[in-house]
Parts: sequence; structure tokens; C-alpha cells
Amino acid sequence: MIQRRTLLTATAATLAMPAIARAQAGKSFKIGAAVYGLKAEFMQLWVGAIKAHPAVRSGQAAITVFDGQYDALTQSNQFDSMITQRFDAIIFVPIDAQAGADAVRKAKAANILVVGSNTRVVGNELTSFIGSDDVKAGMMEADAVVKAMGGKGNVVVIEGPIGQSAEIDRGRGNREVLAANPGVKVLEHKTANWSRAEAQSLMENWLTAHPGQIGGVIGQNDEMALGALQAIKAAGMDPKKIPLAGIDGVSDAILAVKAGEMVSILQDANGQAQGALDIALRRLAGEGYKPMSEVWNEYASQMPWGGGTATEYSVPWTPVTAGNADALLAKRQKG
Amino acid sequence: MSGLDLPAKPDRFRPGAAIGQALSRYGIVIAFFALCAALSLLNPYFLTPLNIINVLRQASINGILAIGQTFVILTGGIDLSVGSLLAVCGILGASLVTGANPGNPLVAVALGVGAGLGLGMVNGALVARLRVPPFVATLGMLSVARGLTFIANDGMPVPRLSPGFLTLGQGFIAGVPIPVVLFGATALLAWAVLRFTTYGRYVYATGGNERSARTSGVGTRKIIFSVYAISGALAGLSGMVLAARTTSALPQAGLSYELDAIAAVVIGGTSLAGGVGSVVGTLFGALIIAVINNGLDLMGVSSYYQQVIKGAIIVLAVLLDTSRRGRD
Repeated sequence: MIQRRTLLTATAATLAMPAIARAQAGKSFKIGAAVYGLKAEFMQLWVGAIKAHPAVRSGQAAITVFDGQYDALTQSNQFDSMITQRFDAIIFVPIDAQAGADAVRKAKAANILVVGSNTRVVGNELTSFIGSDDVKAGMMEADAVVKAMGGKGNVVVIEGPIGQSAEIDRGRGNREVLAANPGVKVLEHKTANWSRAEAQSLMENWLTAHPGQIGGVIGQNDEMALGALQAIKAAGMDPKKIPLAGIDGVSDAILAVKAGEMVSILQDANGQAQGALDIALRRLAGEGYKPMSEVWNEYASQMPWGGGTATEYSVPWTPVTAGNADALLAKRQKG
Repeated sequence: MSGLDLPAKPDRFRPGAAIGQALSRYGIVIAFFALCAALSLLNPYFLTPLNIINVLRQASINGILAIGQTFVILTGGIDLSVGSLLAVCGILGASLVTGANPGNPLVAVALGVGAGLGLGMVNGALVARLRVPPFVATLGMLSVARGLTFIANDGMPVPRLSPGFLTLGQGFIAGVPIPVVLFGATALLAWAVLRFTTYGRYVYATGGNERSARTSGVGTRKIIFSVYAISGALAGLSGMVLAARTTSALPQAGLSYELDAIAAVVIGGTSLAGGVGSVVGTLFGALIIAVINNGLDLMGVSSYYQQVIKGAIIVLAVLLDTSRRGRD
């Protein structure tokens, strides 16, 4: 009997705890994270990061993740059900900028605020957007390759799926740098649809078509750069002699950077996901809300919080180097 | 249509009708060599040893899938799940050969092939025992297996595979890439089984006319069950080869690979109605797809045109074949 009573008191106490915390913050906010798809590592990291946000851990925010399955219609339907279920806010990573804008309008009409993260929608209906500038990343990777080539020679460009916003923007960044370096000629450019296997075959074929002529490889993401790396190795060439760059900082790419085989530029999923949640919570909880994620300290100078009401936050890109590779991987293991 | 028929017509009037027969039988082989001859004229690198190795290696993963698919299609069925099975087997098998203490690569391959066999047997049981139409059963498996792939490793790739395992995708035996050796060995075995064994004859009989096969004592349900198991096991094998080739098992691997596998079988002259076709045809079907991709890459053809050309060649190959068969 005594035992049971202590158990009951203990249970009551633990139950009361989050209730108090909730009372202090007002309530537990119901937040939907509508992401374009969960089939690649980057979005997995993004989802892992948002679930690890201090506010989610403490129960101040309840996150429901919706997998958009790379389909604009699926995402639109998910918005309908979030509106029906009266979510407090939606964090939105759209598959398509045009179709996404329509979904945002629907939510706004239902008085649900929408914070964009990672990929953009057209128009200005978003409460705020946090992401990284793909044009900049395209410039950074092209710059790294061009520099390593000494400003002359031939490059090949492995592109993302034609027409996708990341492909368009990264491509624009690539071209801007290449235009400024007339000594570097683009030998070939073609899509490998973000796929490692596809890029590997493509690079094998290019190496055959242009023996000894390819001096550098610009991959618009890491997966494709890794495919090209395998092709270079399989052809018996030394990858250290052919500058190769990718974007995103996926785990395999970080390992390849560590081995000195490529350059990668890390897109910070953690910053984009946790930052978005802080921005949404600030709007919901009011002026007194203090951002909880570490990212605001990490990027204090490049991405200031500024009260949390800016309409746009740009998460900086971090070049992966042999020096920070281990730290980046360790951080990932923890998440 | 009539233009395409022209070259074959004179054969009918020749004394050696056998030549005409051979032409219709080996049309796909002739088409393959004609395509290669054209590409070697258009591009100086096409016929180099390095490129031939590339083409064979690029054909091998789809080729192994397509051989399994040939068994299924010969019975009049279809297996849409092979791309997903490839991915789930890749993740499962590769998880044994990652990390600080990688296991024996052969055990990993056995696990991958075994997992494919098991899931293929589920397909087989659904189709043969429970009479679910093959299209539906394997469409369901396509989705289930892809889901399992993401569940198995939380949607993350399995990286850092042991060097011993990577040999499977990157090594050579007597100058021939191991994926090509596996493709060749699988093709040879499948060809021999279909051509020389009672089992092989039963596969054709089941696809030709299931009812009359059953009346004449063929255990058609067992045959149907077995072809899905074979297709699953080969999907498992190609999943392991793909993981070793790309150095990581990726959960999004093999997306829509079933379509290329079916295309290889169909280009190779196997009838979707069942009962007619061969592994040799499939072998050349897979090679034709790889040669088209390779040739268009070599010539720097834009990917927009590449898709159009590939689709057109697939339909053209089958058109040629059906018109020839129709006349016979």
C-alpha cells in the first residue's frame, strides 16, 4: 500500500512538471513540419535536428513531420489536413516554388503562420524564410575547383534535375564563376538527377570521351560528386590530381574530404531546421521568447537573431576541411 | 512500318529460308551489332577496351535484374518490386560490412541475396497461392520494400563499407570487372536452366498456356512461386553489387530500376503475354540499353534528347520484333 501511494505521488509529480513548464510558456504549440521528401540524407538530418530542438524536448512544442514524397499535390493535401487539425504553425520545405505558394496562401487564410525552410516559395506570403543561398554555394564550389586548377583547363559540370530550384541557383553560381575565368572551358555538362549511380556512369563515359582532358569536376551536390570520384578511381586516375567539388556535406563526402579527394560545402540542416522552429515559436509566444537553439550562438555574427522577426535568415555555408571533418561527423552521430 | 519490313522481305524468296529464320530469331543481336557499328563510326572512343568495360559494367546491375525478370515474364507475370528489393537488400547486407569490425563479405552477400529470396517468396506466395494478380502483388511489394528500406536504417545510407566487400563492385577477375563476371555467370546459368532442364520447359509451358500445362501434370503454382523467388534473389544480388559499386548502400538506390529491367526483357523479344522469349534476348536487351546511354553520353547529346531517343528505340525494337513475328 505504502509503495503504491509513493508511486502515485511520484507519478503525479512527474505529470505536473511539464504542465508547469507549459503554463509558464503559455501552452504546448502544435507545429507541423511539411518537408518535400525523406529519401535523401539531407532531409533526414533536417528532421533529426528539428526533433532535437530544446523546445521539442521540453514539450513546449509538439512536432508532427509530414513526408511530401516529392510531390506538390501530396504537400498541398497535407496542408489541408494541418488546417483541419488546427495546427499553430507550419514549417514548410516545399518541393515546388509555385505550387508551394498556393499551399502557403491556404494556411494564411486559416490564420496559420508558415515559416519557410531550405527551399523557397514564390511571393511574399511566408512569415519568414530561413535557408542557405544556393547561388553562393554554386560560386563557392566552382571557385574551389577553378582555383585548384590554377585558372586554366577543362571542367565538366554534373547538374541536378533540370528545372529544380537548387539546380537553377547552383548552376547560376557555377556559371558566374566560370564566366569570370575564361581560361577554364566547360567540356561537358549534363544532369545526373542528384544520383550517385547515375553520375558514376556519366563520369565513366566522359572520361572515355575526353581522355586526359578533364582537369576538374563540378558536381552540384555531393552524391553526384561522389559518383564521379568513384569513376575517377575506377579509371585508375589519382583523384587528388583532378579537383572535384560537391555541395551539402553528406557523411560520405566529409570522409572523402578528409582523405583529400574532394571539396564539399556543408549546408547546415541543423541551422535551417532548428532556426525555423525558433522563428515560429517567437511569433507564437510573443516578444518575450528567447531562441533556444545553439545555432544562433554559432552564427551570431553572420546570422543575427535580431528579435526573431526578420523576414529572411540566411544560414551560412561551411566549407568542409580536413580540419573540421571529424568534428562535423561527431556532431552528426550525436544528433 | 512497311519501311521497316523491307529488309526482311527478300529473305523470304531466297532458297535458304533458314537465313530468314535466323534473322528473325537473332534480330535483336543484329540490331545490337548494328548500333555498335554506328556508334563506333560516330565516336572514336566507343570501341576502346576501356569503354567496352564501362558499357559491360554499366549493363550488369540492370542485366542481373532483367534476368530474374525474364523468368517472371516468361510465366506471363511481372515483377515491379525489383528496384525496391534491390535497395532493402543493399541496406541489410551492407550493414554487416560497415564500421570498425566489418563481417565477412560473403556472409553479407548471402544475407542480401537471402533477404531478396525471402521477399521474392512473399511475392510468389501472393501470386501463386493467394491468386493476387502479379501487377498488384508486386506493386504492393514495391511500396512495402521501399518503406522497409527507410525503416531499416532510419532513412540514412550505410557508408564506409569494408574494402573486401567493395571488391564485389570494383574488383576484376582476369581483367573482367566482377559485376560483369556475375552478370555473365547469372546469364549463363539462367540460359542453361531454361534451355536444358525440365524446370525450364515447365516455365515456358506455364507461360504458354497455364491450364493445359497443369492438365499435363506441370505443377504450375510451384513454377510461378519459384520465378518470383528467383527474381527476388537476383534483385538482392544486384543490390549488393550496386552498394559495392557506389561504396555505400543508399536507401534511395534502385528507384524505377524495374522499368529498365522490364525494358531489357521486352527489347530482348520476350513476350509480356508469357511463354515466348529467352535469356540471350534479355542479355542483348540490357546491353542495348547500356550502349544507348553510353553512346549518347560519349557524343555529348543533351539529356533531354537522350530520354526521347531511349524511349523511341525501346518502342522501335519491339515494333520490329512484333512485325516480324506477326509475319512468321
